[in-house]
Amino acid sequence: MNTTTQKITIDPVTRVEGHGRVTVQLDEAGKVEQARFHIVEFRGFERFIQGHPYWEAPLLVQRLCGICPVSHHLAAAKAIDQIYGVDPEDLHPTATKIRRLLHYAQVFQSHALHFFYLASPDLLFGVDAPVEKRSVGAVAIEHGELARKGIMMRQFGQELIKALAGKKIHGITAIPGGVHKNFFPEERDYFLQENATPSVDTMIEWSKEVVGFIKDYHDQHFRWLDSFASYPSGHLGLVGRDGALEFYDGRMRAIDTHGEPTLHDVHNDQYLKYFGEGVEKWSYMKFPFLRHLGRDEGWNRVGPLARLNVCDYISTPLANEELQEFKAYTNGRPNNHTMHSHWARLIEVLHCAELIKELLNDRNILDTVERPPVNRRPEGIGIIEAPRGTLIHHYKVDEKGSITKCNLIVSTTHNNEPMNRAVRWVAQNVLDQQREITDGMLNQVEVAIRAYDPCLSCATHSMGQMPLMLTVLNADGEVVAEHVKASA
Amino acid sequence: MSGVLLFGIGNCGRSDDGLGWAFLDRIQQQAEFPEQVEYRYQLQVEDAAMVSRADRVIFVDSYQGALPGGFQWAPCKPSRDFEFTSHVLAPAAVMYLCQDLYGKIPPAELLLIQGDCWDLDTNMSAAAHQRLENALESFSFHL
Repeated sequence: MNTTTQKITIDPVTRVEGHGRVTVQLDEAGKVEQARFHIVEFRGFERFIQGHPYWEAPLLVQRLCGICPVSHHLAAAKAIDQIYGVDPEDLHPTATKIRRLLHYAQVFQSHALHFFYLASPDLLFGVDAPVEKRSVGAVAIEHGELARKGIMMRQFGQELIKALAGKKIHGITAIPGGVHKNFFPEERDYFLQENATPSVDTMIEWSKEVVGFIKDYHDQHFRWLDSFASYPSGHLGLVGRDGALEFYDGRMRAIDTHGEPTLHDVHNDQYLKYFGEGVEKWSYMKFPFLRHLGRDEGWNRVGPLARLNVCDYISTPLANEELQEFKAYTNGRPNNHTMHSHWARLIEVLHCAELIKELLNDRNILDTVERPPVNRRPEGIGIIEAPRGTLIHHYKVDEKGSITKCNLIVSTTHNNEPMNRAVRWVAQNVLDQQREITDGMLNQVEVAIRAYDPCLSCATHSMGQMPLMLTVLNADGEVVAEHVKASA
Repeated sequence: MSGVLLFGIGNCGRSDDGLGWAFLDRIQQQAEFPEQVEYRYQLQVEDAAMVSRADRVIFVDSYQGALPGGFQWAPCKPSRDFEFTSHVLAPAAVMYLCQDLYGKIPPAELLLIQGDCWDLDTNMSAAAHQRLENALESFSFHL
């Protein structure tokens, strides 16, 4: 862009799930004055689920998303279990194991989707690569072996979800107080053996390889990865009772940028006491924060980077070994390098592969699940770690069992402030006072957002087409550049 | 019809966008139907692996625009035509990836059926229903 003409042509910038808009406000000298990441979709799911019977919630809310429906299905199921009268520790052990297996398959496939399909073009071809290279298609053509493995890893997760839920997307596994169906030997054995879909042992091997890939990549590009869009922040995630990384059922732990605890392993029931949600007129997505720290200091990152920062260890050996190396890089202090999210995500891929193998070989995974009798309660709260971070579902019902209130704090919503900080970093460090703004520079805005793997359709519960729009405004507030790319 | 893989693409919650899925629903009621049918909101990269194992592939999708007779059969040739977007792929791009990644390219066709209404609705328009019938009738002749 030549600022004297106040005209910018910006090429498409997407590869996030959902509909967002970035505005960069310049002053008269072309210096970045303000940069914001807006979510402009309408939020309505919490309202239109009201009046439905409580047992429908896990089926309906998973339609928030086509990428992580399992996360919404299970978070809602955990909440609805409580309305049915069952706490997580009282659920039949095999039901818990089947749900966990489903969840690990979901995290595995979602992370594979993000890394191989969405993030890898930036890493393999560079952030200023030509547009035609910025797609998974280009990765498939120029890095066929990596692409083939990525495809099969996602397929493994998707097929496991299908075996447990009946469908890859929007299936049914959890019902109030139990699971819809048992896991059968032939279904289990399929994933232990090499078939059209490789075995879980192959998944573990490939997961190790891809962790090795990202570490090698880091060795070669550490200056960029350590600095790009990095800033101090708090971190939030679930941990087990012993401090282990936990995806399905644990306590909420948060730390500040120095590693000091700001949320001390809090039980699900306490979330309203600790979490507030701020609003801004320029975005439909809320801004969660810890009430006792306030809006300015209480925001946290969530997702793989945050989870590895808050946990003490990982329960599976290979992933734990990688975690120790990951933590050693920052000398045990919180890792605030935004681009290390990819490294953290791939360690979680390895962890999920190990967990899946453990559960496939669990002698109780094939047991018949019995549901306890109903003992209705008026309220339920379910919290899990979705691929993108801490996911909170809260429902209240009337005496007939109809939902009267629903509150969802979705992973990407927690990352609203962090993504805004990342956009601001790029604006100030890449776009500021540039006589010519190149397409590669603008792509870096998206690279920063993509590190969070945002699911904007989840965060606002929208419907319809979902483009990402980037707008540059001059000192008079006039649009001097705008680019929209409609996605299907 | 051994080895025929049939993809229905669309969304049955969006009125005539559900034509691809409705086609699959109906074809499975026929005495002899393709042994593998796959419902898709959108095609993705992993579909290339599935295509590589098929003897023949047919993609069925709704079409926003006028088609002579309301539907159209066309060969689906590989094309390096990737959307610069999250992960949606056109049938031709799936065929390209299949050829590139797996070194195979089964015969493939694209059946487009004209739609008129794309609102939030689980019912299709009357015109779309009629075109669906005509497309179904053509299917047996086409095979």
